[in-house]
Amino acid sequence: MPPVLRLLAKRLGTSLIVLIGVSLLIFAIARVIPGDPARIALGPNATAEAIAALRERLHLDDPFVLQYGYFLADLARGDLGISLYTNRPVTRDIADYLPATLELVIVSGIMMVALGLPLGVLSARYRGSWIDHVVRMVTLLGVSAPSFVWAVILMLVFAFYLPLFPIAGRISDSYTISSVTGFLLVDTLIAGDVKAFGNAAWHIVLPAFALALSGIAQAARLTRSNMVETYERPYIEMAKSYGFPEKRIAWRYAFKPSLIPSMTIIGLDFAAMLGNAFLVEAVFAWPGLSRYGVAVILRKDLNAIVGTVLIISAMFLIVNVIVDLLIAFINPRIRYSQRAS
Amino acid sequence: MNTLRIRDLTLGFKGWSGTVEVLHGISLHIGRGERVALVGESGSGKSVTARIVLGLLQSLRSTRLSGLVEFEGRDLSKLSERERHALRGTKMSMIFQDPTSSLNPVYPILTQFHEVLRRADPAINLTGARARAEKALADVSITDPSRALDSYPFQLSGGMNQRVMIAMALANDPSLLIADEPGTALDVTVQAQTLRLMREQVERHGTSVLFISHNLGVVREFADRVYVIYKGRIAEQGPTAALFEDPRHPYTRALLDAVPRITGDGIPEIEDASDAYFAPTEVHEGYGEPEGAA
Ligand SMILES: Nc1ncnc2c1ncn2[C@@H]1O[C@H](COP(=O)(O)OP(=O)(O)OP(=O)(O)O)[C@@H](O)[C@H]1O
Ligand SMILES: [Mg+2]
Repeated sequence: MPPVLRLLAKRLGTSLIVLIGVSLLIFAIARVIPGDPARIALGPNATAEAIAALRERLHLDDPFVLQYGYFLADLARGDLGISLYTNRPVTRDIADYLPATLELVIVSGIMMVALGLPLGVLSARYRGSWIDHVVRMVTLLGVSAPSFVWAVILMLVFAFYLPLFPIAGRISDSYTISSVTGFLLVDTLIAGDVKAFGNAAWHIVLPAFALALSGIAQAARLTRSNMVETYERPYIEMAKSYGFPEKRIAWRYAFKPSLIPSMTIIGLDFAAMLGNAFLVEAVFAWPGLSRYGVAVILRKDLNAIVGTVLIISAMFLIVNVIVDLLIAFINPRIRYSQRAS
Repeated sequence: MNTLRIRDLTLGFKGWSGTVEVLHGISLHIGRGERVALVGESGSGKSVTARIVLGLLQSLRSTRLSGLVEFEGRDLSKLSERERHALRGTKMSMIFQDPTSSLNPVYPILTQFHEVLRRADPAINLTGARARAEKALADVSITDPSRALDSYPFQLSGGMNQRVMIAMALANDPSLLIADEPGTALDVTVQAQTLRLMREQVERHGTSVLFISHNLGVVREFADRVYVIYKGRIAEQGPTAALFEDPRHPYTRALLDAVPRITGDGIPEIEDASDAYFAPTEVHEGYGEPEGAA
């Protein structure tokens, strides 16, 4: 088996174990929160019989281990149960809300890499010049406040005082786009509606930027310091003494090796966006998983809570596996160490 | 014609608190095919001299340079940045202290060898590079060149990487090889082995060598002639045997006295014992520097 596939198999294996651990934990925690889910779901006027019937249906009177067993058996069939809040399968709810969140996070991630890395490279390349100083000032600002603070500030400045961007939502009401992937940026293109695409893009810029800002800053600062450090390495001096072209040295000798430590942190930042997205979504009334998540937690909607957390964790783990693979792709040391282990 | 001729070279670095003088007018020459050592304690200005010859310091904004550096009869200061660049990796090459960290960790040896060969032959493709690299690696006694080429530096031993560096340094048949404390990061036996190999190779190629070292024992074995540098000045120079037998300059004497049996592995920091340390160049007969240098 090629080393990269072995790495993939190994990481997927550990991810699965982590996911099972998370499910057990959240399953237990959801049940420890005070309040009877059946009573909350049925309202104050429900009869004792109705409540008992619902508790029966939810296996709430069974021992914990048995409950978890039922849950795992359902999960294996891809069934996360019925949400007491929406009265629909939790999987259906998640399928409805998740794409909005994912779209936001992915656009943010792209911004983080596409803006953060070049800024870092530029800053390192022109170390000590005004470009460097500006980048360092701005990025210091970026890392010094959490994303929901930026969300509020950006919304106030660029949507409220200067109405350059929409204040809320994913797309203007005048467009009706049939959902294929759930990603509006994709669905509008599938529908061949360029104007709708532009409108959706216009809506996502501000929330995505707010979410990405600290990541952009972090990526830029990290890339800068790694590049500066790499420029001191003997192999750079060797490349210079052999007269390799400047551009090649910058790209293959300075940037690529310094990407290895940057990637790990960027990957973690990217995964952390899944969590931060909740607050940014709240600020911009973004119809993503956060709204659903908050609502189901308040109603102690057990199945929905477990399902939402599980999906977020799964996303987190998938991102981590992808980052690990990317790092292995750049770093031969990791790729080849798989052979030995 | 000498391969390298340096005359009254001074170097300063401009910093916050004025200019720091690092070289105070050094002169040296290396004849064709000659192996010349530059010996001195840490900070005496050995590496900066090497980097000036390679033309790497000239483009630095903080450097203040004067004097003459002539490579194969061409005054480096009269060449454009482009022309100086063209000499690097083709007519001059360099070997470093730590072979493993001098190779790019994220590319296999072949890629880097290709890069080196492309300096002299821009059109060479990977297949051509592979064939030539395999031959070059076989010359430095690497038993499985093909495998070494497909390896990353971290997969090879320090000694192997040093052989690779030697092969790379000589691949384009340069007329000057600069070795800045080659292999000091390796363990002593491996260092001795690779130095012997390097000597064989430069003799075969007829390459001139500027050999920078801390190790007087190694210098004695490797070099035809020695320059002793002290705080940016050449203290003394002469044929290796003569200089070791009869050191004239007080600093050289202190140096040789301080290392018993001269097989020790480092040059000690020696306190300024007298003003005589800064006295002008002492010269052994027959090697006039600065006047008679051919
Ligand atoms: N880019 C630079 N800017 C300022 N000073 C420098 C620079 N490069 C070297 N120097 C100074 O020049 C002096 C000579 O340095 P050099 O590296 O040539 O010493 P060396 O003889 O090679 O010593 P070592 O044996 O430790 O390698 C040192 O005092 C060093 O601090
Ligand atoms: Mg040095």
